[in-house]
Amino acid sequence: MRRPRGAALAIALTGVLAVVGCAKDGGGTSTSGEGGGGEGAAGCQLADPPPVPDEVEVSTPETADVDGSELRVGLAYDIGGRGDASFNDAAAAGLDRAEEEFGLGDVRELTAEANESEDAKVSRLRQLADEGFSPIIGVGFAYADAFETVAADYPDTDFALVDAAVEGADNITPLLFAEHEGSFLAGVAAAYKTDNCHIGFVGGVETPLIQKFEAGFLEGARAAAPDIQIENTYLTPAGDITGFQDPAKGNEATRAQLDAGADVVYHAAGASGKGVFEAAKAGDALAIGVDSDQYNQETVAESRDVIITSMLKRVDVAVFNYLAAVAEEDLADFPEVFDLSVDGVDYSTSGGMVDDIADVLDGYKAQIIEGEIEVPSSPTG
Amino acid sequence: MTLGATSQDPNTSAGPVTEKAPRSRRRIPGWLMGALWVAVVMVLLSTTSFLTGLPQLTSSSTIESAARFALPILLAALGGLWAERAGIINIGLEGMMIFGTWGAAFAGYYWGPWAGLLAAALFGAVGGLLHAVATVTFGVNHIVSGVAINLLGLGVTKYLSSLIFYPLSGNPRESPPVPKFDTYSAQPLAGWLGELEAMQRVGISDVAGILRGLVIGVSPLAMIGILLVPVSYLVLWRSRFGLRLRSCGENPKAAESLGVNVYLYKYSAVIMSGALAGIGGAALVLNPGQPGYSENQVNGRGYIGLAAMIFGNWRPGGLLGGSALFGYADGLRLRQGETTVHALLYGAALLVLVLAVVHLVRGRWTNGATALGGAVALYAVYWFTDGIPRELLAYAPHLVTLVVLAVAAQKLRGPAANGLQYSRETGGRRKRGGKEPGALVGAGGPGAPPPPPGGRAGPDEAEPPGRGGAAPPTGG
Repeated sequence: MRRPRGAALAIALTGVLAVVGCAKDGGGTSTSGEGGGGEGAAGCQLADPPPVPDEVEVSTPETADVDGSELRVGLAYDIGGRGDASFNDAAAAGLDRAEEEFGLGDVRELTAEANESEDAKVSRLRQLADEGFSPIIGVGFAYADAFETVAADYPDTDFALVDAAVEGADNITPLLFAEHEGSFLAGVAAAYKTDNCHIGFVGGVETPLIQKFEAGFLEGARAAAPDIQIENTYLTPAGDITGFQDPAKGNEATRAQLDAGADVVYHAAGASGKGVFEAAKAGDALAIGVDSDQYNQETVAESRDVIITSMLKRVDVAVFNYLAAVAEEDLADFPEVFDLSVDGVDYSTSGGMVDDIADVLDGYKAQIIEGEIEVPSSPTG
Repeated sequence: MTLGATSQDPNTSAGPVTEKAPRSRRRIPGWLMGALWVAVVMVLLSTTSFLTGLPQLTSSSTIESAARFALPILLAALGGLWAERAGIINIGLEGMMIFGTWGAAFAGYYWGPWAGLLAAALFGAVGGLLHAVATVTFGVNHIVSGVAINLLGLGVTKYLSSLIFYPLSGNPRESPPVPKFDTYSAQPLAGWLGELEAMQRVGISDVAGILRGLVIGVSPLAMIGILLVPVSYLVLWRSRFGLRLRSCGENPKAAESLGVNVYLYKYSAVIMSGALAGIGGAALVLNPGQPGYSENQVNGRGYIGLAAMIFGNWRPGGLLGGSALFGYADGLRLRQGETTVHALLYGAALLVLVLAVVHLVRGRWTNGATALGGAVALYAVYWFTDGIPRELLAYAPHLVTLVVLAVAAQKLRGPAANGLQYSRETGGRRKRGGKEPGALVGAGGPGAPPPPPGGRAGPDEAEPPGRGGAAPPTGG
């Protein structure tokens, strides 16, 4: 009976170690254990809200006399394509609106496959360019390298890329968004809606893009309630994109945040967000959606009553504005970044759960547009 | 093969750290070994939790989360066990799980969770059947067929969900919300344990937290998953059917010559394997907190299940441990992972230190010194860092598996004829199913050159078929 002796030895040894106590102190000081709910249900000590603006100034392009019938538009979707209830759908909505408002000559839509090679993307784009499509719009930063390769070979074709900029390529127009500005408003909403003065952020994959969401959210929450406590979890590290597609992980991460005391959770985790909403519903907490108006999404209809608002990323606005600008052959004063001032990002009001704080949100929004508040685009720690 | 074999290595079941004990002829029964491991893990976690001041390590919510993460992995691993015990490498578990998620969401949406569970098993079994047809009847390389099934799983479910789910959910990649199983808690036990846990006493509260995490919020699916472990053991190791099935994985020619219908057994094993993987997929859809089917949600859990099974030495008990490890690491990582997983380094240092002392006491100086060095190194890493970089966190369980496999590879042994193609037509002559299936399954039989016809069976546990219940107790 050797093994039992070994086990007994193990127990004795760990006992000895326990007495010696050679664990590092302060290893766990940053966490207050389970269920630490802060200062009860009193909510946060809120900072003074900004003045209520008369009207928030948002600029949109004039399209009354735009004629797009000459345009042959190629649209290369990311994985999922039309009907993904997210970016691809938003891009499609922008395209449809352009078609409706000023007509398009020809439209070709192609969709990326999961785990496809770089080559497949490149040949898809070459196919479009060879057939004379211009402009060609790529949805998603996954196209960045392929665009860089192809755009150099077709200098007369206009390219536009959602969510990424390519350095040194004149014919690629980046369609970038100020996600941090929209997330700032999400942070403000969370700070006003929390009972425990404790909120959470669930990021899908720790990429610079998602960190923009995190940075804005943290900044907004702290601006509204300086002593707020914020949980912060990424589902997977950079390079492992499965974090955007794993509702089970989103669910567990959110449960952990609720256990730690958070009661409003904002996610920037793509399809994993479904798990976030489920956890929020089960845990009697609130959640904030992302990218599109998630309150109206069928796939999360069961838990929509916890979704107080969503940070909208208006890919449709960007695509529409871009098409309008190309049709007018005027890309000179095309916005570099789609921010709050051009309606590129926004918050949603479906469900009416932020109606009571709309004045506050619009106040912050006006201040950001006017430049009185500068939102950082990467986390400051 | 013979009784004398017991003296060679009586305990392949006992997990990676078991020592050969040439001086002791008495074998430790599998259940005792399991109980000992559970005790060691509990002591280790309690100690680490106490010394590092991190109650999350053993809190019931962490364990609950770990159990939920472990369930799909466990079911996939069980699926792998069934197939590989019959000699068929099943890398298609991932695809079968994907089939299962879709089936669960479809039937669950229309007829409730139990129908979903059934449909998941059915869909998975269809995947298994395909694999069986390819590998058993047509002699396709097991890896090639498995990869094909993974691709097929993705493609077919994508097609089916844009066909059927799109009109319902407005999203071709996701199903509408699916009704879930209810969860149950063992009351009043859970209440008592909760009180104990809240007291935050050293040891007692840790153990209470771990136990409570296992008895609260349990869905029927989780109970089924846990029950399937002993059931698989009883069927595979304690029944005539199981003995014959395993004989097909050890030496199909000998089995055939004794009248076992090898094809039939391989078919049933792989179909069962698919059904189990399908249920694993259902665990991602029908458990509370899971919103339903969504594309790519399986996310490699099939492969992890396979790894857990190899980690567990092709044994039910071992793969339970492997799945628990993966689940725990995943659950912990999402709960203040930087500090908690970091604290596990401390626990690992403790474990290796204990191992070192055991080695030294037994006079194995080299092993002892190596382990001691490892413990010091781990402790040094723990001491000089403040947290695990997030980039590494996600791979913590994979790293642990790598280390365990590297350390214990000599002691792991899969079925001898695993991955080899068996063909009745060639008179039972076995040929390589693929170029190097041995490389994939790691150690043991498959790595060896193909044995001559009628060659050796497994060194210790393949009995000639027909001895029915006389199998020695080699359970995990």
